[in-house]
Amino acid sequence: MRLNIFKRLILLFLIAIIHTSCEEFVEIDAPNNILVRNEVFNNEQTAKSAMTGIYNELFLADFSSGSRSSVTLLAGLSADNIGNINTNNQTLTEFDINEISPSNENNYSLWSSAYNIIYMTNSFLEGLSNSQNVSVELAEQLEGEARFIRAFTYFYLVNLYGDVPLILNTNYESNKLASRNSKDEVYFQIQEDLELAILLLDTDYRNQERTTANKYSSIALSARVNLYLENWQEAERLSSEVIGESAKYEILPNLDEVFLANSREAIWQISPIGGGGIVTHTNEGILFIIDPVFSFFANFQLESDFVNSFQDQDLRNINWIGYNEGKDAFFPYKYKIRYSAEFPIQEYSMVLRLSEQYLIRAEARAQQDNIQGAIEDLNIIRHRAGLDPIESLYSDLDRRLVLDEVLLERSREFFAEWGHHWLDLKRTGKAKEFLSVSNLTWDDTDTYYPIPAEERSKNTNLTQNAGY
Amino acid sequence: MKNNYSRLKWVALIIVGGILLFLAQTAFAGNKSLLITSFPQEQITGKVTDKDGSPLIGVTVMLKGSNTGTITNLEGNYNLSVAENSTLVFSFIGYKTLEVPLNGEKEVDVQLEEDISSLDEVQINAGYYNTTKRESTGNISRVTAAEIELQPVISPLQALQGRVAGLVITPGGSHPGMASTIRIRGQNSLREDGNFPLYIIDGVPINSTPIESNSLLGSSGIDPLNNLSVNNIESIEVLKDADATAIYGSRGANGVILITTKNGIGKHAGLEGQIYIGAATIPNRLDLMDTQEYLAMRRQAFVNDDLEPNQYNAYDLVLWDQNRYTDWQDYAFGGTSKTTNVSLAYSGGSENTSFRVGGSFFTQGTVYPADYSYQKITGSLNLTHHSENEKFRMNLSLNYGLDDNNLVGNLNLNSSVFLLPPNAPSIFNDDGSLNWEEWGEAGLNNPFEGYFNTTLTHTNSLISNLGLSYQLLDGIQLKSSFGYTNFTSDELLKLPARSYNPAFGVPNNSFQLNVNRRSWIVEPQIVLEKEFQRLKVDGIIGATIQQNISTKQSFQGSGYASEAFIGNLAAAESILNATSENSEYHYAALFSRLGLNWDKKYYLNLTGRRDGSSRFGSNNRFANFWAIGSAWIFTEESFMEDYLSFLSFGKIRGSYGTTGNDQIGDYGYLDIYEATQGAGGLYPTSLANPNFSWEINKKLEFGIELGLVKNKVTAGLSYFRNRSTNQLVGYPLPAITGFGSVQANLPATVENSGWEIEASSKNLSTKNFYWQTSFNLSVPTNKLIRYPNLDQSSYANVYREGYPLNISLRYQYDGLDPDSGFYIVKDINEDGSLDFKDRILVQDQSRNYYGGINNSLAYKAFSLQFLIEFVKQEGSQPLFYTGTLNNTLSGLVGNSNYQRISQSYEANIAYSYASESLFPIEDASFLRLKTISLGYNIPETIIKKVGASSGKIFINGQNLLTFTPYSGLDPEFPYSGTGIGSSRTITGGFQINL
Repeated sequence: MRLNIFKRLILLFLIAIIHTSCEEFVEIDAPNNILVRNEVFNNEQTAKSAMTGIYNELFLADFSSGSRSSVTLLAGLSADNIGNINTNNQTLTEFDINEISPSNENNYSLWSSAYNIIYMTNSFLEGLSNSQNVSVELAEQLEGEARFIRAFTYFYLVNLYGDVPLILNTNYESNKLASRNSKDEVYFQIQEDLELAILLLDTDYRNQERTTANKYSSIALSARVNLYLENWQEAERLSSEVIGESAKYEILPNLDEVFLANSREAIWQISPIGGGGIVTHTNEGILFIIDPVFSFFANFQLESDFVNSFQDQDLRNINWIGYNEGKDAFFPYKYKIRYSAEFPIQEYSMVLRLSEQYLIRAEARAQQDNIQGAIEDLNIIRHRAGLDPIESLYSDLDRRLVLDEVLLERSREFFAEWGHHWLDLKRTGKAKEFLSVSNLTWDDTDTYYPIPAEERSKNTNLTQNAGY
Repeated sequence: MKNNYSRLKWVALIIVGGILLFLAQTAFAGNKSLLITSFPQEQITGKVTDKDGSPLIGVTVMLKGSNTGTITNLEGNYNLSVAENSTLVFSFIGYKTLEVPLNGEKEVDVQLEEDISSLDEVQINAGYYNTTKRESTGNISRVTAAEIELQPVISPLQALQGRVAGLVITPGGSHPGMASTIRIRGQNSLREDGNFPLYIIDGVPINSTPIESNSLLGSSGIDPLNNLSVNNIESIEVLKDADATAIYGSRGANGVILITTKNGIGKHAGLEGQIYIGAATIPNRLDLMDTQEYLAMRRQAFVNDDLEPNQYNAYDLVLWDQNRYTDWQDYAFGGTSKTTNVSLAYSGGSENTSFRVGGSFFTQGTVYPADYSYQKITGSLNLTHHSENEKFRMNLSLNYGLDDNNLVGNLNLNSSVFLLPPNAPSIFNDDGSLNWEEWGEAGLNNPFEGYFNTTLTHTNSLISNLGLSYQLLDGIQLKSSFGYTNFTSDELLKLPARSYNPAFGVPNNSFQLNVNRRSWIVEPQIVLEKEFQRLKVDGIIGATIQQNISTKQSFQGSGYASEAFIGNLAAAESILNATSENSEYHYAALFSRLGLNWDKKYYLNLTGRRDGSSRFGSNNRFANFWAIGSAWIFTEESFMEDYLSFLSFGKIRGSYGTTGNDQIGDYGYLDIYEATQGAGGLYPTSLANPNFSWEINKKLEFGIELGLVKNKVTAGLSYFRNRSTNQLVGYPLPAITGFGSVQANLPATVENSGWEIEASSKNLSTKNFYWQTSFNLSVPTNKLIRYPNLDQSSYANVYREGYPLNISLRYQYDGLDPDSGFYIVKDINEDGSLDFKDRILVQDQSRNYYGGINNSLAYKAFSLQFLIEFVKQEGSQPLFYTGTLNNTLSGLVGNSNYQRISQSYEANIAYSYASESLFPIEDASFLRLKTISLGYNIPETIIKKVGASSGKIFINGQNLLTFTPYSGLDPEFPYSGTGIGSSRTITGGFQINL
């Protein structure tokens, strides 16, 4: 009997061991395909990787990808210089005719992808501020880059939607019920992020490629922001700073070289490497270029009214616009590569380039009645396009006329690039004048896209824009 | 942590090793020969009859204390070689077991006496212990081999459709191998993927989540039970209430399905074989328009809209042949798929050891227009052994299966194909290549883009279990179960360039996906049993340690120089998008059970479990679960016999307890960064919530079970109420938070309640004729009973308090607009726009009630079994538009219920609002002849000539008839309208025992 009790005790003992081990047993390490955030920012290499991750994701994020739900396409359709020629694209037609349903899925993709990038920058900034093993020098540089991306993303949100929630941390509990902040508040934050970015960032590109943000990317974006806010003097000052950096940037005489990877006109580009390297063309390339043989797959064209607005000798008409006979359609041809899986990557998606800085300065100068200065800047762009100086067209150039010409020049220079024309029409109050001609149902409230219905159903504090 | 884990592994190994050594020595000490018996043999024959003298067929005749035995044939005769002076044991369900000692007789005829308390005979597997129908305090349904073995299904669970009260099985789709959705007593978790039951095969838990796939199976995933053979299954038990499931603790919330494979015990030695072949088709078609009807409708649309058709808005009228006609339904799924099944098993053994080796081969084709197929091969081994003194017992079960699933690549032949205009161009050119030109002229892609893609998904699965037990003392048994499972799925998706439009310049591509799931489990237990006069006590104390490792690798090969090289990575120009994921799940628990039984009248069952899971943050890793169950067999009371003498059996039972649910992804509580698709980047992939915890399901049940006419008629009625709280969900968030959702516990309660009836009746049992009917009915109610601040939450437009989870919020349909002729829905709040504030009508999409009636009849050598499944539910009418570029139902034109023919944008918008109104809601109830099988036992005189002991030929039909008012393709998908689930299958074959 003693033995039996002994056996029983052994068993109980074994079970006790198993139980205490349980506590440890159910603790597990993270597997080798994920990293906990604290670890990411306790190491310089992984901290840099987290920033690279944001740049990579910009190529995939809908709003910045240059593909079907990007600012480039949707705002291009809205501004009427890009037309949708495939009627099966119902949701895109809504942008084309400025009748966007709040449940439009492209609109939701645009919105949600932008906030996803904002989350990444917020997570990055939080992680960085708690990190210990990253040198001050690197930390400052990375903070500058993250702030630049956040400002850049908010710039498009505030311009496309008006008032938008200003999300600056990763706390979803509070953010899920956030209301819309006024445009002023959003712009204030953009300005603050950009000021810090300008302060923190180095003048050189961190990875030797123009796909990371440097000081000048931030100055260039800041120049644009100040132009939009009609701070003419500041806009002129900032654009002059970029234009003055001739060691880095120049207006390339050959139009076919402008959109190449790391072109000397580029201030900031997004690399197709973010796609994982399956294909190496830009999204704009495959979206817009109409294949000469299989033209029936064409989805978009440049509206003929727009193409007719170019003078015949305009090199942009010749070099940057393609024509397909099968479809009898013009298409943007700034990016020359429709499909490629080759390395090294030939073309990067252009976000900021020098010629915009000239046109910003031209406009800012004209607004400050520096007509001669404005004409000089404008002519630099016209000259590159093979056009005569602007004075040759008019005998008497006044401020109004110069401003109109700058606006026209912007539309011819930046078509199919980041919705420039749409934003220009809106900020200059010319949207109605331009768009109500071809669009009989034009309504002044069409200048803002609707807050996505799905978003409002999840966050009842979000109000809708007027007209939806 | 690594160190702790390996230390634990050592502890476990030492314990296990120690037990094994100890047991082995004790067990084999007095046991010299395992398989050879050296006693003199003699031949015993005889006949078994009932009290009327009618022969009893299928009576088990066993040699006492051994695994040797046989069953009686059609004449009630048996024939057995035994050692002298042994004892024969005659047992048969419904009859009292009889022991007859042999005193040198060569011929032993016996009469068996009917046993009215036959409910004791059937052992029910309750997981860690066994019980009987009579004594069970919980709710466990049981389906046996006889009911399912002829069904031509891939995953055995598909054979349970309509057979078990409270169990709903929805097919994943019509491709072979797709995972069905299995729900026991409704949806408990707000998350779709938090509702999987726990699968346990021979004591080993299997991850019930479908396996990922890039193939057409991807939409539902691959069923993890595909690699089991239906022929190899002895029984399937479905555990439902707290009493039955609480012992599974945090994994029992959604019910438990126990699958027991066949073993050699009690089978007469010999070979059994079965073979059948058959064919399956999709039984239903939508009544779509033919070319003339369709084109007339389209022309009318342009007339109505006062618009000139052109090649952009009316390529079907302007560009395409006006006389061409293709029946796209027939084209897409009009084929016949062939099925073949062969299974073989051999059982044998000696006094102390028995075994069963089984194997099967199954193949099934597809109804789609290509030569693709599914094949599987399974093998199984069951070995049981006990020592001479019966103290040591061992049971080994191995189930191995591999299958090859050849499918069309990523081409989905769904409604996007069969609603094409009937005069659409041909898919192929004369040379067999895809026709791009003609489709392209209309601005369309060939709808069969991807046609030449193929997938080969090869899976193999090993499920093994070793159970050892040793009777330490009288009433104390040491036991341990060791399980190991390994599942791999290797998939190659080939995308040859010719599948795609040459305009895109797509190179030859391949996608490889390799998934592996491994797990081991050790469950040491002490089983106690003690009788104190009228009180009987039995109990278990045990522990579980389990580890699951899952890995997933995928990559793409691109730019193969030739189609023939696709898949050969050495020939790929580049290897891209390589991903590698792996995850670990650790689970540890202590569990116990105490069963008390007073005088076989009063029963009390207490179960408890303490669980730890690695899926939660450090504050929430452990939780306790428990249940109490009790039963009173009131017919045992003497006073009852006076009043309720017509009852042969009566039991009232009840249970209450808690179970948990930890079905969420691993590592969800960590704030993590993963590698970006692009090189060298890291990014956050989800929102992190370190505090989430278990979902708790509190289950209450009452039941009454009655037996009448000597238990020839039995009926059970149960009421249950399960409340699932602390809901753990991927809680939807507005995108401004950065993501669409986060894992969090919600202060919400989901209640599943309902009534279930399971009844069975032996209507007739005479010498030549036998008829048994069983019936099950479930009347479930699902309700979101509490959700604080629902209207403030992200679910404001998904759920409604007081209503089921499975609802849709709909507009009020307001008839046709007298001006435009289009559908109108009511703008309830009159704010000029239609949104969720106007969708105030709540439509319940769950089943009102469902059940099945199964009949088994036998007349002489003929047997007939058929199962009728019935469901009461609503559904949504598909396709009630006219005039657009899609084919539609031909009855719509000229019917004033539908909006006027139009191709306009406005008509389309009106249609989409109407489809979210009550307008298309209709009755989608159905009554289906789920299975029917007819068998004929070949007369012994004939079968003996071929040297066999018995044989049977049979034909089996699945889904032969469906009665439904539903206008969609299959009422099993009442809201898709165009989804295809079950096919109509007829098989025929024979079965033989040698």
